[in-house]
Amino acid sequence: MFGWFKNFATPSQLKAAGVLGMNARNYDIIAKSNKRRLYPLVDDKVQTKKLANEVGINTPRLIGVIDVQNEVDNFLDLVKDYKEFVVKPAHGSGGKGVLVIKQYDAENFVTASEKVLTYNEVYQHISNILSGLYSLGGKYDIALIEEMVHFSNQFQDFSYQGIPDVRVIVYQGFPALAMMRLATKESGGRANLHQGAVGVGIDVKTGCAISAVSHNLPIAIHPDTKADLMKLKVPFWREHLEIAVKGYEMTGLGYLGADIVLDKFRGPMMLELNARPGLAIQIANNRGLRNILEDIKNNYPKGLNPQQRLDYVLGVAKD
Amino acid sequence: MLKKLKSVRILLGIGLFASVLFAAYSIYYKVEYWGFSFAPKQKTAVWTIEAHVGFEPTEKPIKVSITRPSASKGFKVLDEDVVAFKYDIDMQEEKVVLTSKPRKKMQDIYYRVLLYDNVESRGKTPAPKPEKIVKPILDEQSLSVAYQILETANSLVGDDVSRVIKLFNQTPPDETVRAFMPERRSDKETAQAVIDLLALKNISARMVRGIKLQEDKKTFMPDVMIEAYMDNMWKIYNLQTGRKGLPSDFIVFQRGNRPLVDVVGGENSVIKYSVMKSLSTSYKMAGHRAKIANQEGRFGYSIYNLPLNQQNALKWLMIFPLAILVVVLMRNVVGISTMGTFTPMLIAMSLVETGFVYGLVCFAIIIGIGILIRALLSRLNLLLVPRISAVVIFVIIIMQIMAIIGYNWQLPIASSALFFPIIITAWIIERASITWEEDGAKNALREIVNSVLVAIVTYFVIVNDTIRHVMFAFNELNLVILFIVMLLGTYTGYRITELTRFAPLAKKEK
Repeated sequence: MFGWFKNFATPSQLKAAGVLGMNARNYDIIAKSNKRRLYPLVDDKVQTKKLANEVGINTPRLIGVIDVQNEVDNFLDLVKDYKEFVVKPAHGSGGKGVLVIKQYDAENFVTASEKVLTYNEVYQHISNILSGLYSLGGKYDIALIEEMVHFSNQFQDFSYQGIPDVRVIVYQGFPALAMMRLATKESGGRANLHQGAVGVGIDVKTGCAISAVSHNLPIAIHPDTKADLMKLKVPFWREHLEIAVKGYEMTGLGYLGADIVLDKFRGPMMLELNARPGLAIQIANNRGLRNILEDIKNNYPKGLNPQQRLDYVLGVAKD
Repeated sequence: MLKKLKSVRILLGIGLFASVLFAAYSIYYKVEYWGFSFAPKQKTAVWTIEAHVGFEPTEKPIKVSITRPSASKGFKVLDEDVVAFKYDIDMQEEKVVLTSKPRKKMQDIYYRVLLYDNVESRGKTPAPKPEKIVKPILDEQSLSVAYQILETANSLVGDDVSRVIKLFNQTPPDETVRAFMPERRSDKETAQAVIDLLALKNISARMVRGIKLQEDKKTFMPDVMIEAYMDNMWKIYNLQTGRKGLPSDFIVFQRGNRPLVDVVGGENSVIKYSVMKSLSTSYKMAGHRAKIANQEGRFGYSIYNLPLNQQNALKWLMIFPLAILVVVLMRNVVGISTMGTFTPMLIAMSLVETGFVYGLVCFAIIIGIGILIRALLSRLNLLLVPRISAVVIFVIIIMQIMAIIGYNWQLPIASSALFFPIIITAWIIERASITWEEDGAKNALREIVNSVLVAIVTYFVIVNDTIRHVMFAFNELNLVILFIVMLLGTYTGYRITELTRFAPLAKKEK
């Protein structure tokens, strides 16, 4: 914040680089592509999950929903058939309020980042979710209990704890930019770039890493695992993109960010969709988004189905 | 898409232009007719001159004429009224004429005029037409004395008029003057003598009667000055010193020889003038001025005609749009994210009440203690609403304690605690604690610092007396701000903080 005058680009430089600013994103893209009445579809994870399952998109299985305070007492009953589970707020954003329990007994709950919580603390967390602590606008919320994602060994070396996920920006149904977010020690197992996670720009065509940043600075190796980030290649790339691209039909949002995780057993799964995806993805890709969006708007074919769009982008059916 | 954006901008641009025009006209109007100014001058002097006419009726029909002060640029008449029981009152241009059937008892008539001191333009007298010189009728002896006086006067410095006046005021008295008229004489007699002498020199002169403004003055005689027509202009002279020019504190009631008050049908009349000075807010005076300019209707429906307590509340409200503009600029143009959109604005408003340094220190103490208590509270695993409620109550308790400490130990820092909005403060504490738990102390501190930073900028805008005065006196500026804010709503350029955030992307292009 205070160092901004040291490292500074002029507006015309940013424009030349095709960087999409926050104001332009809100005014030119989101306000025009995303109808407000569609927001609840993605802001409410229960709805998103339902919609996704209807169109055949994989999501982590729902174990149960807690929507009233006095049901919090029964959460152990809900998860009794599961060795591990995830609690998240239906209206959360940016991974806030997500609690991953990978091992537990009646008293102690071990989180993904190896923190041990008491029953009371987990109880408190769920009840916080219900009172709206993590929801947009602080409204009353409900808590989802989902199956835990078993993240693929493919990424074991690339992430310090936590689950790496792929974020794809989809504009008018076409994937525009993609990145993978890798947790670090600093980010506490979470995949948020502003908390110190590593962002790896992924080539939309190939699923291969093209650049990586940590705290806005380019890096080549993971700060904790020391893995060579440029060797990162997302398997099942077309399947990843398919989930993202279908998000367009599923929600009707012209501009969306799809968060996708790769499960060891079930393949790519949609975690959530975002109607206001952030702009950090430009930094991870070392590439501005504006020109890509304009290209899609002006030059890409219209009226294609998801598979045709994928073919077009991946160059399969491109003439 | 782009076309639509353009048309919105054009529309808002037209709106902005129209609002600027409207504001400009309105400001001109208020300055011209209501006497508003851009300087935050709190009070203006208002002079009240009261003429009390008392007389005994002679059982004939009564007619009393009281001269009204003549229009002068220096002082504007705000208001005048006559208190006269059961008289027919006729306000003429130069005088007030009161008529009545014959009466028996001693009569008291009050004429009161309120004058607004129009400092910028006072002392400039309009030039009326000259009058025909009336030569005095004097016997031979007096005439020779008169010429002798004029001769002696020639040896003094100054122009013809001031030389004569000076001679009349010499101490010890000039012999020739003493021969011309008695030593004990009224100002009026002196003035008449001077006029007569000047007539011999073919200088047209006349008496000017009025009131010299002095606080709490009471007098039975109006003050007199001399006006002479020279070089095609009326020039006014002080009757005591011979100095040329209208003193800034002299209100002209009448020029020429007629008495100020004329009573027909009465005898033993006594006229007493009293002068009072009072200070009036410019808004209060604006009402009077609007009345003179025949603009009462418009003024009646303005905020300045509201009861004072409502005006004070509005004075506070009128600064909000500007503070909001600052917040919009900080968020959408600079790109600083703060806790809650208008939280910084509310902190800034509190700082205005508390004083800058005291307020900031006190705020830091409250937030600090609050976060500590909140950390303890989080161990109790309370539900959200009861927990934030507890924080609110704790904030109230902290404020009480600080107020008590501040009072007893004479610590203004602690005393200012009461001015912070309780709920907002509690939410800042709650959010800071959550951010602290989730994103670490650094992020929590940064959020607070950002918010306080925006609050400080807002503070310096709204604490300025001139800005506050201008926003209240010229409240149409809020319309301009409205359009600026809406136009900023279509600003799609980069935020200043983005120039660094995305700087790595730009370097590549070089």
